[in-house]
Amino acid sequence: METEPKTQDRTGELANPARPFVSKTLKSPASRRMVDTLARHVVTLGGVTIIASILAILFVILYEVVPLAIPAKSALKESVPALAPDAGTRLLGVDVDEYQEIATLVTTKGISFYSLKERKELPAPEIKALKGARIVSISPLGRGPFLIGTSEGKLIPVKVNYEVTFVQSVRHVEPNLVESDPIELESDEPLGPLGPLAYLDEAHQVAVAQVGPQSLAIASISIRKNMMTGKEVKEASTQTVKLPIEGEITAFAMDNRHDNIYAGTSKGQVVRVNVSDLDAPTIGLSGQVTSGPNVPVTKMVYLLGDRTVAIGDAEGNVSTWLQATGAGQTHPLLPVNRFQKHDSAVTAIAICKRNKGFVTSCANGGINLHYSTTGETLIDMGRPGQGVAALSYAPKADGILALDAAGALHLFDLHNPHPEVTLKSLFGKVQYEGYKEPEYVWQSTGGSDDFESKLSLTPLIFGTLKASFYALFFAIPIALLGALYTSQFMHPSIRDYVKPTVEIMAGLPSVVLGFIGGLWLAPAVERVAPGIFLLPITLPLTILAALLAWRALVPVGVRLKVRPGVEVLLLVPVVLVGLLAAFWLGSVVEHTALNGDYRGWLSKTLHLVYDQRNSLVVGLAMGFAVIPIIFTISEDSLSNVPKHLSAGALALGSTRWQTATRIVLPTASPGIFSAIMIGFGRAVGETMIVLMATGNTPIMDWSIFNGFRALSANIAVELPEAPEHGTLYRVLFLAALLLFIMTFIVNTIAELVRLRLRKKYRFI
Amino acid sequence: MNNSKTPSLWSSGEPFIWLTGGALALSLIMVAGIMLLIIYSGMGFFWPRTLHTYTLKNGKVYLAQLIEREARPKSDDKEPDTFRIKIKQANRSLQNPTDFLWIDEADIAKDELNGEAVVLERRAWGDFYGYFQEIREEGKPLAKGSAETQAVLERELPKITATFDEIYRIERYEVGGNSEEQFKINTRLRVLARDGITSGPEVDRLNDKLKKLQEEYKAQEAELASLRSSMKTEVVMRDAQGRETLMPLSNIVHYYGPNAMGFFQKIGHYFSKVGEFIFDNPRESNTEGGVWPALFGTVLMVIMMSVVVTPLGVIAAFYLREYAKQGTFVSIVRIAVNNLAGVPSIVFGVFGVGFFIYFIGGQIDSFFFSDTLPTPTFKTGGILWASLTLSLLTVPVVIVATEEGLAAIPNGMREASLALGATKFETTWRVVLPALMPSILTGLVLAVARAAGEVAPLMITGVVKLAPTLALDGSWPFLHLDRKFMHLGFHIYDVGFQSPNVDAARPMVFTTSLLLIIIVVCLNIFAISIRNRLKKKFATSAV
Repeated sequence: METEPKTQDRTGELANPARPFVSKTLKSPASRRMVDTLARHVVTLGGVTIIASILAILFVILYEVVPLAIPAKSALKESVPALAPDAGTRLLGVDVDEYQEIATLVTTKGISFYSLKERKELPAPEIKALKGARIVSISPLGRGPFLIGTSEGKLIPVKVNYEVTFVQSVRHVEPNLVESDPIELESDEPLGPLGPLAYLDEAHQVAVAQVGPQSLAIASISIRKNMMTGKEVKEASTQTVKLPIEGEITAFAMDNRHDNIYAGTSKGQVVRVNVSDLDAPTIGLSGQVTSGPNVPVTKMVYLLGDRTVAIGDAEGNVSTWLQATGAGQTHPLLPVNRFQKHDSAVTAIAICKRNKGFVTSCANGGINLHYSTTGETLIDMGRPGQGVAALSYAPKADGILALDAAGALHLFDLHNPHPEVTLKSLFGKVQYEGYKEPEYVWQSTGGSDDFESKLSLTPLIFGTLKASFYALFFAIPIALLGALYTSQFMHPSIRDYVKPTVEIMAGLPSVVLGFIGGLWLAPAVERVAPGIFLLPITLPLTILAALLAWRALVPVGVRLKVRPGVEVLLLVPVVLVGLLAAFWLGSVVEHTALNGDYRGWLSKTLHLVYDQRNSLVVGLAMGFAVIPIIFTISEDSLSNVPKHLSAGALALGSTRWQTATRIVLPTASPGIFSAIMIGFGRAVGETMIVLMATGNTPIMDWSIFNGFRALSANIAVELPEAPEHGTLYRVLFLAALLLFIMTFIVNTIAELVRLRLRKKYRFI
Repeated sequence: MNNSKTPSLWSSGEPFIWLTGGALALSLIMVAGIMLLIIYSGMGFFWPRTLHTYTLKNGKVYLAQLIEREARPKSDDKEPDTFRIKIKQANRSLQNPTDFLWIDEADIAKDELNGEAVVLERRAWGDFYGYFQEIREEGKPLAKGSAETQAVLERELPKITATFDEIYRIERYEVGGNSEEQFKINTRLRVLARDGITSGPEVDRLNDKLKKLQEEYKAQEAELASLRSSMKTEVVMRDAQGRETLMPLSNIVHYYGPNAMGFFQKIGHYFSKVGEFIFDNPRESNTEGGVWPALFGTVLMVIMMSVVVTPLGVIAAFYLREYAKQGTFVSIVRIAVNNLAGVPSIVFGVFGVGFFIYFIGGQIDSFFFSDTLPTPTFKTGGILWASLTLSLLTVPVVIVATEEGLAAIPNGMREASLALGATKFETTWRVVLPALMPSILTGLVLAVARAAGEVAPLMITGVVKLAPTLALDGSWPFLHLDRKFMHLGFHIYDVGFQSPNVDAARPMVFTTSLLLIIIVVCLNIFAISIRNRLKKKFATSAV
């Protein structure tokens, strides 16, 4: 009745010659054809563009990820002869400003500045306290103030400031030298060529210098301000420590917390001197760090953060070490990484001020760039000159300045934006500072400036898989059994209501599921956790008991009135009873077998910690998201199994159950497989539920009572804070790429299986 | 039972059928359970709960609402059941930072209802439960006693509320507009100074204008100060313990006496609260007041997304089904597009950040907004980028729905049109497209339903906890594409997980969830019903 007038309208319209079908404005066939062609082009162009731009997602993400894989690059920018050292002059150190315009050079004669931009020497600053004496040694440059040791046994704190001014938008860098009052060492022996090392701050100055072949002098100066007069009072004390070593001290290093001094010897050993109490330094363990007693240590430096020591020896070996902690240690240091070997003795090590990178050089002039955490030698930078005497890592980590034995400066451009990322650091175990052993760690931000981000994706991938595993573990049985019942046994009259109901569950926003999971389900599950583990037993038992009771207690007449296929309605109260029974039994079990406190029992007996927001909660909450997907797709494929197959089976005398399991289920199994795959894909990418219903701690542990951190939640939390094009930013893009690839593969397999299935049915 | 029956029961497979039925029943219980939970908790939020006066055996008195009752955990099964109740005593202050309290039922000596007890909704610190004592203006009592105070308050409160609204309006629009103008002028002056122009007619003109604006600002400040000082009426409240608290009327939003309300009054109150929830601005970092900006942001974002996604999806579908040469390539593209629907939404968000915000936004900023750099205009999250990201996310839905619709249109219709001499475009435009409308609508509704519930990609492309201004307002150019916005879904995440007082905020989050679910489910049901009607229509027309 309803469609009748419509068809009349349509035929009436077409049959009426007074109202032409084609609009009046498009009369000429030529213009009509033109419009048609135009439309074809527009649609084709538009369609191709739209589809291409959808597919471009992959490429945009790849574009951000690829720079992570590009290796570090360096290029020799210029080589200039800056000094002409005579025979008696030793080259002690070199430093460069952040714009790589000014080089500071320290020789035994004094300090000089050289302009790399203008290629000329600048007027040398005068060091007043030097008073004609020679410089014997200096502390490492590039860390702010440094100390100069003089031939008269004085230590002079100096600082080079590079003052930047802009005149008419042109940058101008002016170096100047600031010196403080010299520190007098109370030692009879003259300063050795090593050190002096310094730890300087406003109130406290610590200086360590080599005096004599086996001794170190430790001077500590505390500056106190008199509250009444405002005068500064300096209190100085010097301790001389003679180390119990064979041979002599050839290198040493001190951390900026002045906890320890490590001294390397000509016999290839390292000795620890504990200086946390500056007035009473104690000598600790010693141990070999080179291949043998005839290989001396030549250079030792603390890397950024002052936890890792880089050691170079006379054979050209470069290695990093961490302080050995814990009882029963026999060696003061723990080896971490060995790097590419130089072909001659290591002559200089310069550290990066931004990351854990450092650069080493050897007597033959070779320069290598290393990264401590990953244990990789990033670049072999070649041999710019004969024998490198000193090195400097530019403050912005974008250049290296080398001073060779002939007094020439070699400036390298360095492009090394993501040194901390390698395949190993992203997916493997890495030894980080402060950790007992190599581990998978994700910790992108920390409190301090020299914090090292730890970007292992493994715990996140693990978290994603753990979430999907528990979600599917819960969802697959319910969804598949439910789908089997709906398609095979359910009466069509109620099927029309049941299917949309379950589909509505798929429409529930995941943020709502996450909220319910985190704030309602988590405390609820905590109350009834033992009962939940009893569910798989009590629920089937209750249902079977209900069936037996139904057959035994309900008269046949009433039973026959109930149509087959509506059992589900009877079962709703039964399942409710089963649920309550499980929770009640759970509390009984808790009180009888688990001492009334299942959490205590878990931690005592199984050594498991119960977090309130754990994988069990996520599994249940995510079940809500996954069940409807698996249910709908598998129900479709089960219903699509040709009716004549099941009808044939039933006609041959098999029961409903036999038909369902032996005929329908095998035929539809590819569809069910694809349903599970698509459910898995949804679980992998789900963000809000895992974000809200877990504690988001990136731990690796299969325990169902623990939380985890998933890739997706991690992206959502950290991307807003990640600086554009930084390492974290790119690693998060990599995480997105992994998610994309995982789900794309899973979905493609599911789709292909489904297409094959469809083809197969065409011929049945 | 006799022995011969049991084996036949097993072999009939009936127990297994019942088990599968049980699984389905369980999932139905889950759906019903979660819906009932949300509906119950969400709808109950507005109902005015009565205020009980609990007198404990130790003499303490509480005026509080009963929140829940539960059995105390027992150490031994033989113990008799004892219960404890959770009460909301409100009256948050520096000394009393929590709203909620657990007390043992056994400790309660008396539980009474006092008809004079009132709930004050405060602008800060949440609710206050107590009794009216006195109302004062500049220290002089206007009325004393509960009923008299209430009568005066009923007269005075609307005046104060009007003043308060006026202050809000001046702060928001006049002062806000003024500072925006000043910012523009300062930016212009900075640009001029950068180009070396520090004097001349334009600079003078700008400086004059700036001075005028600053004077205007001073006047506005003075007006605000006088308005603020005009609100001098205070009410003296007595709390359950008999302590007196002085409360300025400017801190009171509403008051009601739940114990004195009749059933219909309660219903009236209920609906006024529902209205407030939907149409008011949030207070107390979103944990009180309404969700209007979030609702507005959600709807606006979804509308912008629809405007983008519909033509894109339809053109792509037409290309795939009507114009492209069917073959392996199109099949692959189709599979890829289908699969995109399964790619996690957060991946689209990441794409939005990398492509829309940093690439396109960066380009726009450097071409059109270079004056205000380094403060980003488009190179940061905003409603435009969020809706573009979501349209990319939902375009596969529209493509798939439109394609299905195209496939369902009988070829006879196209052929008839072509046979009558129409070109392909004319056939598409006049025959196929009208018949396709319902499918497009279905696709759009499904896309909207998916977009409305999606939060993860928005978190990184422009949603904020609290947006100072709506993206659509009365100032030029009306629709501010660069503004950040609020969203119901993010509101749930934020209030439920980031707010300091989760216990007090929880009912509000349930209500917000209910609102979001109503929107999404209604859209879904709409789409399903269109789909069903469509199926029927084509079933008849194909015959």
